[in-house]
Amino acid sequence: MTGRAATRDEKRLAWALWALAFVALCLTESAVGFTRDESVYFAAAEGYAGWFRLLFHAPTQALSDAAIVRAWDYNHEHPALMKTLFGLSHLLFHDTLGLVRDATAFRLPAFALAAMIPALSFLLGSALYGRAAGLFAALSFLLVPRQYFNAELACFDMPVAAMWLLVVYCFWRAMEDSRWGVGCGVAFGLALATKHNALFLPFALAPFALWRAWTESASQPEARARLFRFVGLFAAVAGLYGLLVVSLGGLDGFQRKFFLLSPHTLLFAGMASGGAWLLKDLEPVSPRVTRALVPLAAMAVFGPVIFYLHWPYLWHQPVERTAWYLAFHATHNHYAWFYLGTLMRAPPFPLTYVVVKTALTVPTSLFAPMVTGLAALAGRSVLALSPRAREWVRIPTPAEGLVGVNAVLSILVISHPEVPHFGGVKHWLPSMPFLGILAGAAVVRGCDALWEHVKERRPTVPRVAVLVPVFALLLAPALWALTRVFPYGTAYYSELAGGLPGAATLGMQRQFWSSHVTGVLPWINAHAKPGARIFLHEVNGFSFRDYQRNGMLREDLRAVGAPSEADIVAYQYHQEFREHEFLTWEAFGTRTPVTGLYVDETPQVVVYQRPEERE
Amino acid sequence: MRSPRLTRALPLVELGGLLLVALLCLLFHLRLPGRLPSEADYRAVAERLRAEARPGDAVLLFPWWAERARLYLPPEIPIYGWLASDKADLSAHPRIWVLGQPELPRSDVSAFDAAFLPGRKAAGPATHAGTLTLGLYENGRYRPRRWVASESFARARVYLEQQDGSRRECPFDGRAHRCPGPPYLYVAPEWHEILYEPRHCLWMHAPGGPQRLVAEFDDVPGGLGLRLEGGIIFEFAHSKDPRLSTAHLGVDDAASNARLLEVPVPPGREGVQTSEVILPPGPPRTVKVWVQADNADSRQVCLDVMALEPTVGGRG
Repeated sequence: MTGRAATRDEKRLAWALWALAFVALCLTESAVGFTRDESVYFAAAEGYAGWFRLLFHAPTQALSDAAIVRAWDYNHEHPALMKTLFGLSHLLFHDTLGLVRDATAFRLPAFALAAMIPALSFLLGSALYGRAAGLFAALSFLLVPRQYFNAELACFDMPVAAMWLLVVYCFWRAMEDSRWGVGCGVAFGLALATKHNALFLPFALAPFALWRAWTESASQPEARARLFRFVGLFAAVAGLYGLLVVSLGGLDGFQRKFFLLSPHTLLFAGMASGGAWLLKDLEPVSPRVTRALVPLAAMAVFGPVIFYLHWPYLWHQPVERTAWYLAFHATHNHYAWFYLGTLMRAPPFPLTYVVVKTALTVPTSLFAPMVTGLAALAGRSVLALSPRAREWVRIPTPAEGLVGVNAVLSILVISHPEVPHFGGVKHWLPSMPFLGILAGAAVVRGCDALWEHVKERRPTVPRVAVLVPVFALLLAPALWALTRVFPYGTAYYSELAGGLPGAATLGMQRQFWSSHVTGVLPWINAHAKPGARIFLHEVNGFSFRDYQRNGMLREDLRAVGAPSEADIVAYQYHQEFREHEFLTWEAFGTRTPVTGLYVDETPQVVVYQRPEERE
Repeated sequence: MRSPRLTRALPLVELGGLLLVALLCLLFHLRLPGRLPSEADYRAVAERLRAEARPGDAVLLFPWWAERARLYLPPEIPIYGWLASDKADLSAHPRIWVLGQPELPRSDVSAFDAAFLPGRKAAGPATHAGTLTLGLYENGRYRPRRWVASESFARARVYLEQQDGSRRECPFDGRAHRCPGPPYLYVAPEWHEILYEPRHCLWMHAPGGPQRLVAEFDDVPGGLGLRLEGGIIFEFAHSKDPRLSTAHLGVDDAASNARLLEVPVPPGREGVQTSEVILPPGPPRTVKVWVQADNADSRQVCLDVMALEPTVGGRG
């Protein structure tokens, strides 16, 4: 596995793809509602930005734990990188320059990150399978309606997918250039600072690095010996940490005794300095083995350091607060989730859930090449084990293996029956760019075979004459579906599901984040009496405020917390919340809605108005 | 040994398959708008219902989730559609209009018919309005109601009854019988969800401890089936937390204190629970409808009791 630098043309095309995605997201974002989480992040981001103002004006005060906690305690269940970027972007583009509305200013960093995915997919796909395959991967990514929807949000799911891809790209490039190994470590730190999914990245990368170092040192005993020392150092540090845990009476004791000057930090410092020294010693003996190991060392060192440094909340109490953060996600609660006609409330969840959900939510014309691309790679890997079959299949390269592993890792992690299963597809988004690359490989493989076939009769036919119509045919249904369902991305279901109506009959969840309420806000603005009390079911107070301050909901309307207090109720049609609709019937004395958002007949948001309040 | 023909053919076959899938997807999207009803279709259906529906009729949605119809149909006709409503008896209604959308993707007419048709027969051919179908059915599962607790609640005597028989009255304030104690202790008919099904039923939250919340009704006719239907509402039924206790729903004869009906609802039991007994013929009687649970947490009961004739389909 060797990385390769992008050519100038590839770089240009990658930048063009980034710009195209960024502009598309900017131009369309105003239609996308504010999800429950997103408005919380808006609020957190404003608070964090306020701290930066304080830091500028009164740095000593800002750096005290009291000031830090005041600003950063809010929403400390997630690291702060993206929220900090949202806040600074808001400070600059809205508060200072006044260029864009509130929400757009918050969302810009998310667009920038999301737009990296097509660009990086292209670069990696192009290097592995050719430019056309990379282009297919890039173009197809944001045509998946749910992916486009998630890309519009100032949340963390798409940014961490981008970071994941960036880390893998850096890792792959590091095999030919040590500087990318350092970059891999930095990117890993940023990924950790984005969302906790990144904690699984070392499991996807370390085996490849070690395998590469092992094979490259096969004919160099000196390099092999140094490789053992390097691995031995990390193993020893891991063992000593284990010993510390045991000797200090378990994880609680380990956590209590973790200070700046304690064996814990000493071990980390020893690992960092020892690793650097060993790599320096190794480099003259085998640059290739060194390059394989640099990303591991960089991830081990930069990951925790960047994670700590980026988050002021950790500065005064790093151990306790990090432990709380990890425990929060390790014991995350479960939300009700409608799946194949059953309301799932608690584990164990079906093992096939993630695969089925992916099959039903990725446009089928894109899902099919993902399946054949992954199957072909898996098939080749299996056949490569047989010496006879090896003659007529191309043995997968380690780089292909890297793509394959990353295509399935997030899916496998979330498939675990005890892992929370709410949130649509967003939790395994990091797999999707890699599946897109494999899809691109599958499509281009077929195109090239077809082109060869055509050339036998018409030698002058250019390759592009095959690629363009094939790409168009495969991408068109996804584009069609995207434009049809936009901006209600979480409602999208593929042709395999039978679209939205088919998925409704199958008994599938179509919303969970409240953002579809934008579909009825114009009606409410037009029909609510002045000062009317509005119950926007599932829309939290922050989102209500955000709709008002972004000009999407009249300022005179007042939020209330229950149908019984409301003049107008916008009920989000969820299977698990039917009681709320029936409470509205009870409160309003009617079962007849006044309007609603129905996408391809499926009820999304149903609006009721008190009969005495109607004009 | 190399197999060049196969290695060359496979990608072509793969591409052919992918293109076929894409074409089918395009076809799906091209056809989908034509499979959806228009506003005019709904209005046409509403017109027919206004003209032909009788008091007591109901509309059943197929598929069950196709709720948009509520915007257009006459508000006086009850509309039913919930997960599993296909097989519901809808025993309060002698006739049912089925508003169907058989052309929607994955609409399974035969599965619907298998659940809906037993005990029912079409009262004429279904009419079409665009993609909508409207068919009228005689409901053989109809059971004429001679008395319904939730409709008689204003005349009920409601009280908290201790184990020793002593009572604390829950006076009627014009809307509900309100008991001393926490605000949820009252009896009144309300809309609630029991396993996704909308039920207009008597709210009777268990009071906790050995005491019972009792609603006493007079004039319950004899010689009929006395049926109790109820359960725990909303998400409260799902939990199997061992700290929760079984809710007991029951009906006693007030004169003899004989137990006529009892339904235990343990933690984790979802859905409408039913029990029925045939009352002996005789003069109307007074019954005590009651609820009890040792631990009142999450025992949010909604129930109804009714005196029913046999199903019309089962007569004669």
